[in-house]
Amino acid sequence: MGQTRSQFSEEELQDYEDLTYFTKKEVLYAHQKFKALAPEKVGHNKNAKLPMSKILTYPELQVNPFGDRICHVFSSSQDGDITFEDFLDMMSVFSEAAPKAVKAEHAFRIFDFDGDDMLGHSDLKQVVEKLTGENKLNDSEMQLLINNILEEADLDDDRALSFAEFEHIIDRSSDFLNAFRIRL
Amino acid sequence: MSGGDKKRKHTRSQGWEPAGSEFYQESYPMDAEEIMPQDPKHLATLLPSKQSRAGATLRLRTYDQRTATTRRWQATNQTQKDSTDTAQHRRPSQGEVQVSMLPDLSQNLSNEQSTWEEVMLIKAMPIPMDEKKKLKEKILNQPNLRLQGYEQFKWKRRKAWDHTMIRVNEMFTKVELWRQSLKHIEGNFGTGVVAYFLLLKWMFFLNLTIFISIFLFITLPTILLKDSQGCTEIKDLVNNASYSTDSVDFNFLDLFQGTGIVEDTALFYGFYPNETYCYLVNNTKLYYNLPLAYLLITLLYFLLSLINIVKSAARGFRERLIESEGQFYQYCNLIFGGWDFCIHNQASADIKHKALYNEIKATLETDKSEEERQNRTRGERYVIIFWRMTAFLVTVAVWGFSGAAIYFVFDISTRELEKEIDDKFIQFVYQFLPSFCIVLLNMIVPQIFKRIVVFEKYCPANALTFTLLRSVGLRLASLFVLYYSLFSKVTCHNKENCTEMECWENYVGQNIYKLLWTDFATHVFTTFFLNFPRALLAKHCNNKVFKALGQQTFELPKNVLDVVYSQTLCWFGFFYAPLLSAMASLAFFLIFYIKKFACMNNSTPSAVVYRASRSNSMFMSVLLFSFVCALLPIAFSVSEMTPSTMCGPFSEHASVWQLIVQIFSYTPDVIKTVGHFVTTAGFAIPMFVVLFLLLYYYNAINAANRHMVTVLKNQLVLEGHDKQFLLNRLSMFIKENQKKERHRNADYYENTQHRNISSSN
Repeated sequence: MGQTRSQFSEEELQDYEDLTYFTKKEVLYAHQKFKALAPEKVGHNKNAKLPMSKILTYPELQVNPFGDRICHVFSSSQDGDITFEDFLDMMSVFSEAAPKAVKAEHAFRIFDFDGDDMLGHSDLKQVVEKLTGENKLNDSEMQLLINNILEEADLDDDRALSFAEFEHIIDRSSDFLNAFRIRL
Repeated sequence: MSGGDKKRKHTRSQGWEPAGSEFYQESYPMDAEEIMPQDPKHLATLLPSKQSRAGATLRLRTYDQRTATTRRWQATNQTQKDSTDTAQHRRPSQGEVQVSMLPDLSQNLSNEQSTWEEVMLIKAMPIPMDEKKKLKEKILNQPNLRLQGYEQFKWKRRKAWDHTMIRVNEMFTKVELWRQSLKHIEGNFGTGVVAYFLLLKWMFFLNLTIFISIFLFITLPTILLKDSQGCTEIKDLVNNASYSTDSVDFNFLDLFQGTGIVEDTALFYGFYPNETYCYLVNNTKLYYNLPLAYLLITLLYFLLSLINIVKSAARGFRERLIESEGQFYQYCNLIFGGWDFCIHNQASADIKHKALYNEIKATLETDKSEEERQNRTRGERYVIIFWRMTAFLVTVAVWGFSGAAIYFVFDISTRELEKEIDDKFIQFVYQFLPSFCIVLLNMIVPQIFKRIVVFEKYCPANALTFTLLRSVGLRLASLFVLYYSLFSKVTCHNKENCTEMECWENYVGQNIYKLLWTDFATHVFTTFFLNFPRALLAKHCNNKVFKALGQQTFELPKNVLDVVYSQTLCWFGFFYAPLLSAMASLAFFLIFYIKKFACMNNSTPSAVVYRASRSNSMFMSVLLFSFVCALLPIAFSVSEMTPSTMCGPFSEHASVWQLIVQIFSYTPDVIKTVGHFVTTAGFAIPMFVVLFLLLYYYNAINAANRHMVTVLKNQLVLEGHDKQFLLNRLSMFIKENQKKERHRNADYYENTQHRNISSSN
């Protein structure tokens, strides 16, 4: 612990505490976890930038079907590579303390594969494909499922979910808050 | 002619052009080509509503915190409108978000508090840490006013309070029980199963709290003050201390039976005397009315349990209400809330994929079967009704059989025990016969129910509920039979040669005590000696038969039922054996580890998707139901039955309730009058009316809100259509315009060509 503490100054920790949903101790703990991914690199530079493949060895992200999307969303360099600060941002959003609105915002970005700020047909299809993994729904089932989703949530009939519509669903979904969480 | 026409068109379009571009340039000061893509979908992304999302998040958050900064952020929003130049990218890049996010300083002078609140808001923004840091610095560098006087004090206090809260929370997370275990389970089994373990934890703490309060207010005073002869005027009125059992020598089996020496311990009702203790402190006499304390603690226990259950249930209920309002959201819930992000184990992830796939298919199927159900022929419908009736009859028959079995076994065991048997072990067996019988039935009968439900063709969710309800029915039925047997034994119903028991409360306590032991032993036995070898078999043998025998999933409903049952026993036995709560909390503590073992080592993740929210509300409703069932007999015995004269804190009262009446008669006149008034019709009827009106009022509000929701939703849909329509029109117009432009250019080109040609000519 003492060694880790020396990597951060008190002001930095205060910054992190103010700007994330973590306490100082949790920030340090997060750093330990980050360091465990690439001990040497992070040992030299506490805010080292790790490539996406390295980040995806983090247990929860490794098995998460949206792991690469998560990396892309949180990567400050937009290429999926993650620095410690990005990692902290990520874990902060996934923490228990983060409010629903913040989680919804990021979830929307994660699910928005083509980045057009709408969850369209292709986005939904990709989400479902990632969810079911190796088991594939056939085309008609997929079509039916997507139609059902849109029927439920697409209020303005533009065959895509805007953020407002997505947030509306999330507000109603009691499971989302539980599911969209990674304990540090 | 044609030229003139062209000219007119030309001028008209010229008249259009500048105005158009001017209009666009106002809000989007850039190239018209760039802002006006042909695709209306693209155009939609330029809408202001799409641009201010980060701001929206912020506003939401501000609203959440109910802080006073809303005004400031509204101002920000205005600034944002002015700086819509961020619109040139579909998603504004970070720097621009920052610009648009910055509060307009000229309008507001910030003070310390609002500055700090703004800093706290940064964390909600979807921007990288770098930007956050810059933003924070910027906000902190703004000139800000120091708060004065009371405001300053309030602000300081609030900051200190927040700071302490952070530290306290930090400490709590450090000492939080089972944190690591929960994470581990969550990683392997998902949130639904963790909800079960949280329930266990919740029960452990409930019982622990109760145990501590009982120990402090009943057991400790009794032990400490029993021999103190502080003031002699108030001598104990009854020589109830004379009650004790004959056997003095300690037998190991007594520990499990609650007989012999154990019966005389603080564990049971008989230990507590009917005494008002008197204690001298500095020559002032302090009295401690033990019977009253006993009764109050009992009340406290039930109240505390009730409040806790209702609190947890209400949360679940609210969620359910939200869900039922939009039953429609089941697909979205499944897709967007489907993956447990906490899973960190490859095998579990694979199973989760599979489970989600199944769930999606099942939901789609249900939709189809719903249609099928409506298209069922009359004949098919009759067949199903026949099966369901049969299933119902079988269920009732099984209940009846189980009840009868328990009744007779109990009868045999009491009869055999009345004969003097020397062999301690045989005695032990007879002592535990009823408990064994109950536990055995609890293990076997649910399996029967599981087979039955297949014939009834319910949809999976309903099938689960039905099996659960039937199992709950069985458990409660068996308990009720036990109550009845105990009751008839205690009151000497329908028996000629029965001897009045010296202390029947102890007897009841012992029976519950034994049941609790058996229950616990069953958990241990099934987990370690039955399921563990099975799991080993499945893991290490490649034989298909063994695999099928050994494979087991962690069945949530069954496990929930197990612990709820233990808790029901504890509620029921608590009045007769106060320290049962200590035993229960210890048992729950151990059960947590036992179940964790069962979960991690014996079971594979279930192919059924258990949702945390759904299972939570299910747990709580079962718990509430059992609570009421446990409360009824206690209430009956407190108000109606005569306590034993030889033992216990209520030995000289006609019923326990008498004590309250007696104490009430000692109270000052004012309280007496109020009390009498409250129990008259003059109070009760107006009270009912008021309650009824309140109910009606809230119901009306609810209905109005529901209506409002529908109206707003419809409006939203209409707006959406309007938007769509306008966007289409706009894009059509743009296309037309571009076409014209092209024509014009072509014309111009042609003309110049023509002129060139003619001039060259």
